[in-house]
Amino acid sequence: MLQILIQGLLLSGLYALIAMGFMLIFSIGRVLNLAYGAYLMVGGYTYFWVSQSLGMPKLAGVVVAAAVGVLMGVLKYSLIVRTLRRDHVAVEIATLMLAVVAQAGIVLVFGDSSKVLLPIVPGVLNVAGASVTCNILVAMIISWAILLGLYVCVRQTHTGRAMQAVSMDAKGAAISGIDPDRINLITWGISGALGAIGGVFFASYTQLSPSMWVAPLIISIAVVIVGGIGSIIGTLVVAHIVGFLEVIVVAELAPELRGVFTMLLIICVLASRPQGLFGREELH
Amino acid sequence: MELRWFHVVLWGGLIAGMFLLPQVVSNGTLRTLIFANYLAVFAISWDVLSGRTGYVSFGHPFLIGIGAYTTAILTKRFDVPVEVSIPLAVLFTMVAGLLVLLPALRIRGSYFALVTLAFMELLYQLVQVIRPDLTGGTRGMSGIQTLTRGAANGYYLSTALMLCIALSMWLLMKTRLGTALAAVGMNEESVRGSGLSTTRLKAFAFLTSAFIAGLGGAFYVHYLGSLAPRAMFDINFLFTIIVSALLGGTSTIVGPMIGAFFMTCLLEYLRPVLPGAERYFVYGAIALILYMYQPKGLVKLVQLTSKA
Repeated sequence: MLQILIQGLLLSGLYALIAMGFMLIFSIGRVLNLAYGAYLMVGGYTYFWVSQSLGMPKLAGVVVAAAVGVLMGVLKYSLIVRTLRRDHVAVEIATLMLAVVAQAGIVLVFGDSSKVLLPIVPGVLNVAGASVTCNILVAMIISWAILLGLYVCVRQTHTGRAMQAVSMDAKGAAISGIDPDRINLITWGISGALGAIGGVFFASYTQLSPSMWVAPLIISIAVVIVGGIGSIIGTLVVAHIVGFLEVIVVAELAPELRGVFTMLLIICVLASRPQGLFGREELH
Repeated sequence: MELRWFHVVLWGGLIAGMFLLPQVVSNGTLRTLIFANYLAVFAISWDVLSGRTGYVSFGHPFLIGIGAYTTAILTKRFDVPVEVSIPLAVLFTMVAGLLVLLPALRIRGSYFALVTLAFMELLYQLVQVIRPDLTGGTRGMSGIQTLTRGAANGYYLSTALMLCIALSMWLLMKTRLGTALAAVGMNEESVRGSGLSTTRLKAFAFLTSAFIAGLGGAFYVHYLGSLAPRAMFDINFLFTIIVSALLGGTSTIVGPMIGAFFMTCLLEYLRPVLPGAERYFVYGAIALILYMYQPKGLVKLVQLTSKA
C-alpha cells in the first residue's frame, strides 16, 4: 500500500513535468503538438551525448538539452505553426510528420538499439520499507519546483498574464497591445525546454530508444485532455490520476495493462465532456 | 472535371499496363507494387472518411487491424474457410467503425483525431494481453493461410482489388451522396441547414471507410501470411497511410493511389542508400516539405502547372 503510494507520487510528478509543456502549447494556441514526444526524445539523447559520450558534467548535459529544446520549439513555431496557423488539423498532421522525421533522424545519428542512461542522481533511499531511487525522487522534486515556478510566473509576471490573455482570446489580447506572435514564440520555447528536461528524466526512468516518444506523448495527451485547457492545477491533478492509475494497475492487475486505462480515460472524457474535467468552457 | 474520351483511353492503357507488368519486371519489384496496391486501398479508405468529411482519423490502423485480426483468428484458430472469414472480418470492421462514430457525433477536429489515436493504442495494448492464445500476443501470428502463390498472382489479386475499390468509390462520389459527404467536410452546419441528416451522412462515411479498411486489411493479411501487433498498430504505418493520401491529394480517388505508389517507390529506391529506419528521415522530410508547400497534394500541383 505504502509502496503504491510512494511509487504513484513519484511517477505522477514525472508525468506532470512531461505534460506541462504540452499543456502550455495547447492552451495558448489550441494546437496539439504531436511532435512534443520528439522534444523528450531529443532532450534525452542530447543529455546522453553531452554527459556520457563527451563526458561533460551532468548539469551541463541538462542545460544543453534544455537549450536544444528551446531551439526546437522556437524553430517549429516559426517554420511550421506560423505558416499553417489557421488550420489546426494541418498543424497536427505536420507535427506528426515532424515526429516521424525526428525519430528517423535519431536512428540515423545514434542507431537503432536502445541505450541505457546512467541515473542522473545515483543511489537508493529506503523509505518505510519501500526502496526509492534518488533519481526519480529528484525528478519529482524538480518537477514540483518547475510547476510552482510556472504557476507563479503565469499568475504574477507581465509575460505570464499576457500568456493567459492570449490563451483566452488572441484577438482581444492583440487589441490590448499584446503581441500574440511574441507570446506564442516564448511559450513554444518554454514548452521545448520543459519537454527536453522532462525527456532527460523520463529517459533515465525508462531507457533511450528511437521509439520512446510515443508513450510520453500519449500520457501528455491524456493529462491535458482530461485536465482541460489552461489549467495548471488541473494538469497536476490529472497527472496524479494517470500516474496512480498506472501504478495501481501494474501492482494489482498486470504490467501489460498499464496503458489501457489511460486510453479508456481519454476516450471516455472526450466522448462525454470534451472541455475536460477542470478546463473552462469553450465558446464553440 | 468532365470525363472525356482520352481519359477513358488513358485509364484503359494504364490498367492494361498494370496487368501486363508481371511479364516485364522482377518479382522483387512486384512485391513492392503489391504493397503499394494495399497502401492505396488503405489510403482511399482514409480519404473517404477524413479527406471528404474532414474528420481526420489518426487511428486507421485500428480498423485495418480489426479486419486483419478477425480473419486471421477465424482461419487459423477455428479453421473457417476464407470465403466466410473475410466477409465476417469486413462486418466486424464495420461494427468497429460504428464504435469510432460515437465520439464523432459530439466532437470534431483535433479532439476527434485524438480519440481515434487512443482507440488505436488501446487495441494495440489489448491485443497483446487479452486471450494471447487467440491473438498470438506480442509476437503476433504466422502461418496464416495465403490466398495466392507467387508474386505475380498476388500482384494480380491486389491490383484487381485496388482498382475495384477505386472504381466503386469514384462512382459513389459521382452520386449526390458523394457530393453531400464532401459538403460535410466544407461546412457541417450548412449541410444540416439544408435539411440533410449529418448523422446519417457521417455514419455512411464511417461505414464505407470501415468496409474498405476491413476488406483491405483482410486481403493484406492473407497475402502476408503473418501479422504482428507492433507492425499493425504502429505510428509509422499510420503515418504512411496519411501521408499517401495527403501527398497525392485528398478528396480525390487518384490522389491516394498516386501518393501510395510515389511513397512506396521512394521508400524502395532509398533502400540501397539507407537500409534501415533512417529511410523515414528522407521520406518524412520530403512529405513534410511537400505538405507545407501544397497541402492539397500532387494532384493539385499537376493541375496548377498544367493550367499555367
